[in-house]
Amino acid sequence: MAFLELTKIRKQFGQVAAVEDFNLQVERGEFVSFLGPSGCGKTTTLRMIAGFEIPTEGQVSVDGADITNQAPNQRNVGMVFQSYALFPNMTVAQNISFGLRIRKESESAIKERVTEMLALIHLDQRGSSYPYQLSGGQQQRVALARALAIRPQVLLLDEPLSALDAKIRISLRSEIRAIQKELGITAIYVTHDQEEALSISDRIVVMSHGHMEQVGTPFEIYNFPKTAFVANFVGTLNTVEAIMVDPEKGVLKMDGIQFESASRVDGLKKGDKISIAIRPERLSFASEQRKANVVDAKIENITFLGSVVRIQVTVGKTKFNMDTFNNPFLELPKIGDVLEVTCSREAVLILDRQN
Amino acid sequence: MAQATQNQTRVVSPQRPSVFRNLTAWIGVLPFLIFVFLFLFWPASSLIIGSFETPSGSFTLKNITDLFTPSILDAYVLSIQISIVTAVGGGIFGFMLAYAAIQGGLPRWIRTALTTFSGVASNFAGVPLAFAFIATLGHTGFLTAFFADVMGVKIYDLGFNLYNFWGLALTYMYFQFPLMVLIMAPALDGLRKEWREASENLGASSFQYWRYVALPILMPSLLGSTILLFGNAFGAYATAYALTRTLNIVTVLIGAQISGNVLYNPNLGYALAFGMIVVMAISIGLYTWLQRQTARWLR
Amino acid sequence: MKKKINLWAWFWIVLGALYFLVPLYGTFDFSLHEKRGVLSFFAYQNVLMDPRFRESFTYSVLMALATIVVGLLLIVPTAYWVHLRLPQARPLIEFITLMPFVVPAIVLVFGLIRIYSGPPLAFTNSEQLTNLLLMCGYVVVAMPYTYRSVDTGLRAIDVRTLTEAAQSLGAGWFTILFRVIFPNIRAALLSGAFLTFAIVIGEFTIASLLNRPAFGPYLVYMGNNRAYEPAALAIISFALTWAAIGLIQLLSHGRSDQGQLGGMH
Repeated sequence: MAFLELTKIRKQFGQVAAVEDFNLQVERGEFVSFLGPSGCGKTTTLRMIAGFEIPTEGQVSVDGADITNQAPNQRNVGMVFQSYALFPNMTVAQNISFGLRIRKESESAIKERVTEMLALIHLDQRGSSYPYQLSGGQQQRVALARALAIRPQVLLLDEPLSALDAKIRISLRSEIRAIQKELGITAIYVTHDQEEALSISDRIVVMSHGHMEQVGTPFEIYNFPKTAFVANFVGTLNTVEAIMVDPEKGVLKMDGIQFESASRVDGLKKGDKISIAIRPERLSFASEQRKANVVDAKIENITFLGSVVRIQVTVGKTKFNMDTFNNPFLELPKIGDVLEVTCSREAVLILDRQN
Repeated sequence: MAQATQNQTRVVSPQRPSVFRNLTAWIGVLPFLIFVFLFLFWPASSLIIGSFETPSGSFTLKNITDLFTPSILDAYVLSIQISIVTAVGGGIFGFMLAYAAIQGGLPRWIRTALTTFSGVASNFAGVPLAFAFIATLGHTGFLTAFFADVMGVKIYDLGFNLYNFWGLALTYMYFQFPLMVLIMAPALDGLRKEWREASENLGASSFQYWRYVALPILMPSLLGSTILLFGNAFGAYATAYALTRTLNIVTVLIGAQISGNVLYNPNLGYALAFGMIVVMAISIGLYTWLQRQTARWLR
Repeated sequence: MKKKINLWAWFWIVLGALYFLVPLYGTFDFSLHEKRGVLSFFAYQNVLMDPRFRESFTYSVLMALATIVVGLLLIVPTAYWVHLRLPQARPLIEFITLMPFVVPAIVLVFGLIRIYSGPPLAFTNSEQLTNLLLMCGYVVVAMPYTYRSVDTGLRAIDVRTLTEAAQSLGAGWFTILFRVIFPNIRAALLSGAFLTFAIVIGEFTIASLLNRPAFGPYLVYMGNNRAYEPAALAIISFALTWAAIGLIQLLSHGRSDQGQLGGMH
């Protein structure tokens, strides 16, 4: 049995179902992200684990114990809030030790634990500072230490980095992941930033409109998206309309041009309108290596993005983005040229049938 | 010429302005400063100076020492008493009201109703308020009659008297509660929901949340507001005058001085006024300092 | 746990409502009893027919208007200037706006009389000059609230950027003030005006001690001589205050609870 289990969770607010049919099993020590746009239900689900919302239906259990209806201050989960929520009238040390004081631990045990936590977040010398004297990133680290000090069974993080600068976000997220790994604590992380989710999670749950779209490792989510939503939300890609020609062999036509795809979707018949997706980095020039699909492409625009060069091409009547690694010694084609562009069968993803 | 327009369009100069530039900028606030000097600072300071003079104009400390004569001291004591009572009473009740409306999980309209009404009630003070209470709790007032006719209780026989200390205190509360509500509302707004959730998440009960988080955070605001309420009551004149001229509080005493009714010694009157300024200055000072403290935490 | 808080909250609200509403109801009821045994608006009729009512009310309304105009003329440019060109003056200005609390009305009028009743500034010898003195007193008393209204309004509209934008489009100072700034702080200006109005109408202390025929002294005169009319007047006052504050609430859309702080006590 998994360590954290959410079974058939549903949360209704009046007429609106904020979360529907949510099922997840999380192993001990796993780092799972809930990823999705605003309003998709990810925070609501997290709050149900914390106890700030009670599910309309369904069950939440931790380590075998059913905590669905337990009051939030009876659960042993630690929560890190987006706005840090540090108590402004207490010092850093007092904030961190708050949960331990409530649990009536001994002074010496508290002192030891606080020192331990301060070392963990690399703020050893700031124990007697007040929150308003710290930067955003530092405050968030204190919030993390405060949640971890009580040795929770599960760590919950509600978009903890959204309020911080881009650079801090990147360094802090690796720190959070490192701490989580070191302590071996089970963690649920809510975010709308797909790069964040991809970089630090063991598994990702992509959500939309209260439903789970897909659960999988970052690799699976990115390379094998199951729905158009997931494909669009995670990473950039080209999504175009096409018509199914041979569902069994994966042959389809886009703008009259034939493509072969390795993905199979059930229930498709010849003549069905479908959405297909191709990641920009999976397209390359045929002059380098010929793969299964080869088409003519006219160069429309070339944008230099640093490590990547984005080339906009037209295939048939449709525009595609093509990404290649920047190579200073490679001659790039000129606008207006017509070249052969290729991609493998696996690169062509068939998404759901278009309505 | 481009340079000239540049200087004109520059609204604030980035480098340290020359003294001359600074001086011309101050002209903009001169009318205001002059007005305030003429009609506030000059009158006030003349009172203070007058309290150190004899009627003939020579320096003396007698007026100040005369403040400590029993009748005047009594007035100060009474003023202070009524101010403390209505400040603490108004503070507690006002805080409870504000908390109930803002954080008590009640429908939104209650809060709007409370703040609107508080705005009205805190402005309703003075003569009309006194009239309202006379009409309600005076000898022939609505409630007095109600208690007598419906419940058979004659409150005046039981010792209640609108025209004594406690009657005045009850009347003062009508503008003290709302003032407390209006001042505490922003502070209560500043009590973020996440603090409560974080404390629950860490295992604290409601009581522990209040004791360790909410009350400490609100304390400077609470103290400051109560002190402001104290000052507010101390300086009140119209309500007391309209209700009962006989109550010997400092403001009524000063009023009598001005009207020339009692002990025709204007300099003593000035000393009274000076004493009042001192009390008010201390309360405003404490209030400002405490509010700053709160602002720092509730950023 | 949520339920328990609710009960407690309702308790206080109901208590508060009782304390606030019962006197109002009682006063209203009392005011209807002038004619023995019958509920009537007789007291209100007497009041509204009373020439002294009309005179004193008119006087106070005119005073209020004058106070509003002078007050805003003094304060708006000052506040604007502080925002734009003289931020270092802000602490001084804010200190000054606290002073009317340190010098309450009863003390202020005392000082005004001391300075302006003898030579060379014998204002009190002339009726018109005494009116002027009263108005200046009102401006001082209303000043903290007016300043705060205007300051809040200016803060909300990023004065500096607007001014710079207008300047870059070629506007001069007059245009900027009257066609860019004023329209955008209209709500704040009106709030300040209504608050001043409420304060002046209800003011008693300064008016009575300067012996001016304002509404406040009229109320006390009625209180000394009549029984039911004062109650009617109290209700009328309350209705006026409610209207003024209600309008302020409407203008500020319920934002800034402090918009209504005021009052003559």
